[in-house]
Amino acid sequence: MRKKKVQISLLLAFVSFTAALAGCGNSPDDILNKKEVKVGVKNDIPNFGLMNIDTREFEGFEIDVAKEVCKKVFGDDVKVEFEAVTAKTRGPLLETGELDMDAATFTITDERKETYNFSQPYYTDHVKLMVKKSSGIDDFMGLDGKTIGVSQSATTEESLKEAAKEAGITLNFSEFSSYPEIKAALDSGRVDCFSVDGSILSGYLNDSLKLLPDEFSPQEYGIAMAKRNTKLAKEVDNVISDMKENGELDKLMEKWGLNQ
Amino acid sequence: MNEFMAALESVFTKSNLIYMFRGLGVTLYVALISVLLSMVFGTILALFRSYGNKFLKGFSIVYIELFRNTPNLLWVLAIRFMVRMPKPFDAPMYSGILSFTLFTSAVMAEIVRGGLNSVPKGQFEAAFSQGFNFPKTIVHIILPQCFKAIVPSMLSQVITVIKDTSFLAQVAIEEFFNNSKWVMSAQIDSTINQTMRVFIIFGFISVVYFVINFSLSCIVRSRKKRQTA
Amino acid sequence: MSAFSVDKWEKLFDNIGPFFQGFGVTLYIVLFALLMSLALGVVFGVMSASHNKILRGISRVYVEFFQNTPLLVQVFFLYNALPYMNINLSVKLIGILGVGVYHGAYMSEVVRTGIEAVPKGQEEAAISQGFGYTQIMKSIILPQALKIMLPPLTNIAANLIKNTSILAIIAGGDLMYQADSFASSTLAYGPAYLVVGIMYFIICFPLARLSGYLEKKFGEKPKPKDYTELLKSYKVGEEESK
Repeated sequence: MRKKKVQISLLLAFVSFTAALAGCGNSPDDILNKKEVKVGVKNDIPNFGLMNIDTREFEGFEIDVAKEVCKKVFGDDVKVEFEAVTAKTRGPLLETGELDMDAATFTITDERKETYNFSQPYYTDHVKLMVKKSSGIDDFMGLDGKTIGVSQSATTEESLKEAAKEAGITLNFSEFSSYPEIKAALDSGRVDCFSVDGSILSGYLNDSLKLLPDEFSPQEYGIAMAKRNTKLAKEVDNVISDMKENGELDKLMEKWGLNQ
Repeated sequence: MNEFMAALESVFTKSNLIYMFRGLGVTLYVALISVLLSMVFGTILALFRSYGNKFLKGFSIVYIELFRNTPNLLWVLAIRFMVRMPKPFDAPMYSGILSFTLFTSAVMAEIVRGGLNSVPKGQFEAAFSQGFNFPKTIVHIILPQCFKAIVPSMLSQVITVIKDTSFLAQVAIEEFFNNSKWVMSAQIDSTINQTMRVFIIFGFISVVYFVINFSLSCIVRSRKKRQTA
Repeated sequence: MSAFSVDKWEKLFDNIGPFFQGFGVTLYIVLFALLMSLALGVVFGVMSASHNKILRGISRVYVEFFQNTPLLVQVFFLYNALPYMNINLSVKLIGILGVGVYHGAYMSEVVRTGIEAVPKGQEEAAISQGFGYTQIMKSIILPQALKIMLPPLTNIAANLIKNTSILAIIAGGDLMYQADSFASSTLAYGPAYLVVGIMYFIICFPLARLSGYLEKKFGEKPKPKDYTELLKSYKVGEEESK
């Protein structure tokens, strides 16, 4: 018994030690002096963040926004490196410091604001629902008792749970770690509906699928940064604010066909 | 038949193939480096456990028990989300290499310990009688015999690591399984039979893993035959 | 350390219910997958040690296929590809089936090694006494092989327990899934993974201890009987001193 206690306490110590590595980093404001910046973006959402598998370059609205922001905050000669993230990985990688910021369809919520810094919104989307045309489901009420595939760490589940409560229906949820998996589950019938922000769904839409007319909770996307980088957050926020005022943001939205 | 050909074509486009094989490169790279590092650390741990003083022995036992009684997936997730990799190791795959190395070292340690136990005790005595000191005995006499004996188990472990790299898809590391899944869900027009696409891709994934692992296990078997012959 | 801050621990204990649920699901799957893999292991192990080429071939295919492809790919196939053929298995069943069949392949190899380790003379003696094949296996070979098989079998069982974590990837509701789901939505990674690690440890550790004990017990080389007393009674040693 004693041996087991010793082993368990050593286990705890070891894991805490490993986690301590997570806390290590430079002083938070040094980040502004960086000349090489890493930004987390999506790689599977047409028009927002998509990887062109031929050129291995990332292309999309968020990539352009991120580039502009980095240039204005860090200087024109900054080297911006993009890394593919999923809803699941984008947050933690900010905390560990591997990424300096995220421009990855990251919705601003009060709860998230406790853990991350966000710039003001640069785009607003809504949670949407995608089903097979053959499913016979026509609206939100038709999902009563059905299973909805959502991404882990996304705001989708919360928003839908609230809406379901109000509408008086019950929903089941299956969480997955990436969108391709949810799409595969929808295709195979494991879930009846694929739900996430409309912009993301548009990348998976095809002739046999349709979007339900309902939309939920406006999703405001902001640039996310680690909580400790307060100076950086201020600077980025200013840049977004400027881009809104001088019409740069609108131009980029037009370029990618995202006019709201 | 036409449907099948169409599905085949839509899966095996040049871009898709390059993307998937890129992933395979990452898979093999991660597996190889993890195994090599684990062999080194595993051996050290085994030596600590069998010949170390109380402290080293205790540390080694705790480490081994810790990693042998928890799932690999747990460590992949925990390390990816909580540990910052220093430059120049900040590409995502290095986090995978770290978690695999930590986990596999424990397994390797047990394999090596089995190998050490199989070396007859007489070897030590003979070496000492010839004037070898302890470290020299270990390095020149015991370890070579030990490694010869455990090659099959080690190669078996390599195969296991290659298979386990499929976990890395969970943390957005672009290895073979991840990339193949991406191809499976990529937007296609609905004239292409999705059922066929899915089965074709699964078949492809299985064949690739099978060929690699089976070849490795055949090498193990032919070596075993030669040894016992 | 922000990874382990107090409020994260609070969130964990508020939501501890799903963790215990996941623990239960994991135990359930472990139990049935273990039974299935043992059953498959014995059946295919006996088949691969048989004199019949066809049986050996079938068993070989089974073992090679499941040992050389990742468990995750197999489970994913059951989950996402089978439905296209209108075979919709419940997630728990997929867990039991996938994990059971995969580990059955490893178990069958252990069974085969055990059977082959029993001296051939046993089988020949039994045949000369008129035993039928199944009887030989059941009453003579397997009991002796058991000693050799037990330690590696417990090793495979330990791996089986850890591999049930694969269910997290197909939204299986097991321990790993609950931890992951909780950690993703509350960002309380540290406490979640730590608690789950301890829970897996609790399930696996007793098995590891058992394996070590069995290894010691059955791994001992038989000690030669002490014949000195007997020899003394025959006055063997005394001749030389005369």
